[in-house]
Amino acid sequence: MTKKFNIWFVLSFTISLFVCIPIITVFSSFFQNTSNYYEVLKDTFLIEYILNSLTLLVLVLIFTFILGTGTAYLVSFFKFPLSDFFKWALILSFAVPPYIYAYSLTAFFDNYGTAFTVLTNLLGEGEYNKIIPKFNGMFGAVLSMTFSLFAYVFILSRASFLYQSQNLIDLGKNLGFSRFKSFFKIILPAARPAIVAGLSLVAMETLAEFGAVDFFSINTLTTGIYNSWIAFDDLAFANRIASFLLLFIFSLFIIENLSRKKAKYHLNIKGGFKQKEKIKLKGTKSFFAFVFCFFVFFMSFIFPLSQMLYWTIKFPENLFDLQIVTLSLNTLYLALLSSTVLISFSLISNYGSRVTNNKTLNIISTMSISGYAIPGVILAVAFITFIAWFDNTIIKSLGFLSIKKIFFGSILGLVLVYFIRFYSLAFNGIKSGYEKINIAVDESAYMLGYSKRKTFMNIHIPFLRNSLLLIVILISLEIIRELPITLILRPFNFETFATTAYVSASEDLLEAAAVPSLFLILIASIFIIIASKYILREHNE
Amino acid sequence: MNNFFEVENVDFVVGGNTKVKNMSFSIEKEGDIVCLLGPSGIGKTTILRAIAGLEKIKNGHIKLKGKILSSEKTNIEPENRNISLAFQENSLFPHYSVEKNILLGAEKNPDNKDKKVSFNEIVNLLDISKILNQYPHQISAGEAQRASLARSLLSKPDLLLLDEPLSNVDQGHKEDIQEKIKKLLAKLKITTIIVTHDSYEAFYLGTKCGIILNNELKQYDDPYNVYHLPNSIEVVNFLNRGILIPAKVTSPKSLENDELGTITGNFVKPFPLGADVKLLIQPEDLEHDDKSNLQLEVVDRKFRGTNFIYTLKTMKNLLLPVFVHSHHIHQHDLQEKFGIKRPIHIEHLVCF
Repeated sequence: MTKKFNIWFVLSFTISLFVCIPIITVFSSFFQNTSNYYEVLKDTFLIEYILNSLTLLVLVLIFTFILGTGTAYLVSFFKFPLSDFFKWALILSFAVPPYIYAYSLTAFFDNYGTAFTVLTNLLGEGEYNKIIPKFNGMFGAVLSMTFSLFAYVFILSRASFLYQSQNLIDLGKNLGFSRFKSFFKIILPAARPAIVAGLSLVAMETLAEFGAVDFFSINTLTTGIYNSWIAFDDLAFANRIASFLLLFIFSLFIIENLSRKKAKYHLNIKGGFKQKEKIKLKGTKSFFAFVFCFFVFFMSFIFPLSQMLYWTIKFPENLFDLQIVTLSLNTLYLALLSSTVLISFSLISNYGSRVTNNKTLNIISTMSISGYAIPGVILAVAFITFIAWFDNTIIKSLGFLSIKKIFFGSILGLVLVYFIRFYSLAFNGIKSGYEKINIAVDESAYMLGYSKRKTFMNIHIPFLRNSLLLIVILISLEIIRELPITLILRPFNFETFATTAYVSASEDLLEAAAVPSLFLILIASIFIIIASKYILREHNE
Repeated sequence: MNNFFEVENVDFVVGGNTKVKNMSFSIEKEGDIVCLLGPSGIGKTTILRAIAGLEKIKNGHIKLKGKILSSEKTNIEPENRNISLAFQENSLFPHYSVEKNILLGAEKNPDNKDKKVSFNEIVNLLDISKILNQYPHQISAGEAQRASLARSLLSKPDLLLLDEPLSNVDQGHKEDIQEKIKKLLAKLKITTIIVTHDSYEAFYLGTKCGIILNNELKQYDDPYNVYHLPNSIEVVNFLNRGILIPAKVTSPKSLENDELGTITGNFVKPFPLGADVKLLIQPEDLEHDDKSNLQLEVVDRKFRGTNFIYTLKTMKNLLLPVFVHSHHIHQHDLQEKFGIKRPIHIEHLVCF
């Protein structure tokens, strides 16, 4: 019968429970002893950590809102030079992780940096270092994150603007609203759930960001976790800070989830939908629309790309020193291995949920997808904590050899933590694909004599094919950019473009960081261009 | 003689809740059409799903061609029953064109030579030739329903189950398609169970009709009898085609009502003399007569194209429905008097 598939239940339950491990580990830290570092930190830097994290959060949210909704509004409602190009070009900013943006900012504006060289070449020798603005510290971090993350708001608000019916716009005109008033009274409120969802994602990424804040030496909760583990070897305290951060992030996660549900409601409206006609801008309006979008595109993608390219050309020895083939293979190996594992297990758990339709399983699945809200640093530290505890209390008491080596500094450990981190991407991606397949479709297949396996292979897989491809691309993209998990858990001498760039930058060898950063941007861009076809779908399938 | 299809003392359940209790009905011969009627949410779809093997049953058994498909011990998987269920909602495979979807039906029983029907015949009959190259998300709900029906018909099942098959089809198409489906099912001798809430559809298509009310099958009979000889007050109320008035049995062929006087006819079931009963009055039972001395006030008038249904109020506030042909020489406005021919004669006296 369709209602009874215990094997599916057990598999789905196990997968979901595994993904919940870090959350349980982090919160169990409250019951453990910490070192003196906690006492020291509590009275000194903890407030600074929290204040810095909040300042960063608020500023990044304001700027990403302006850039994301501004550009989305322009490309969704108007036609102007290159408007169709900007539609997808603006998401190329995803190819530049905040830490690489941070390197570019510093490389360009620092004393005797690229800006200095450009001015010297153009205007001759001079004291340009005094007039060139310096983007480091908090402001540098805010800029890096803004340009790197605004695309979340851009993509989601654009999707929402896209599905706003012409009727809605006509209603504004009918009520005598100006275009300006229509935007603030109708368009923006209607897209609010999507915008909130986008901003929540930005918020989670900002709070989780490690590379850029570490580079600019800003003490945030994330760097605090890393330092308490690396510098003070205090895992329990690292987890305790993590639990504070998690509580905050979970509230954002809930907001995002609630908003997304509402956003989905907006998309599901059937009938009465009238395709929007884009307004052709002329004269100065067209010029300013173009300038705004071009500025954002230039700053978010062209600027870091050209800075990295410039340094690669200027210091070619770094290119030859770098084992590009090995790094490419390592990066792609991790990306493909992890996406294969993620896709396989997510398909199992989704199929399990579908055929068992069990309430407990649905609750556990929902909990397990919170992994993407947990910063990579926390996941890595929680994973180490859990394995260490498991090894010390269970494995050793049973008289077996230590299992730490299997999980620490190994590809297996790395893939497992990626699994937890990106499980929601795969699970939700497949789930939303499955939501489009009415359960009556499965039952119709049975009526036509299809077995469960044949239904899965002949109906589900072909239908989900595009979703699966998109998920592979998105996971690969995340893994290519991912830094803290790879940094903490990678095997000895196993490097990716991201870790190579980070290691060089942390040794103050920014020129050397340019080559891996450039390759990272290029590979990520290829993935984004392929994915853009799906991300920016204009028509509801 | 063995019945072609049989449901015997079955409890139909969904998620532990019994929807229909102790249901029994049978289809004697291949090619018959049974329509199950009942209000929304009563469990009609559950019955079809259980027959298709998508839900388990409690108690009893379901048999097709003498073979048990479902019982508490036996349960043949849906894919191994030669039964086709056309769902009410869009159940077309979303990644295939309409044409490919329909052709998948033909793959199920390619060797069934008893039921010869071509793809083109079905497509033309259901008027879906124009949408063959489109995908399920590009067509209307009514078109999806017809495509789904085409797929089911092409699969040449032993038993076809249709769940509100024309609920999304517009009125203009509906009657035409009903007629064509009826002819095709007869030609192919496909035994069919149709679930519907449209009594006209059920009366037209069904060889037999089942009325499901209050978790049980209240009446299972041919359409004429279900309409004219309902076996319970619940069925009368559900069909909503008449009212019950108080009367006293005065002879083996007559009753007496305070306001309408003597009513003659044949009792469907006998009642003792002097018994107080409730008599069913249907719109067709009363005849209009301008010259009659029984004049009642018109309180409502419904124009139905071919006829009017007047609602008349008696002194004791009984509301009587009366059918009048729409070409009747004159119309009666609200609050006007309307004459009823006396003495009243009703062929079947349905009393409770």
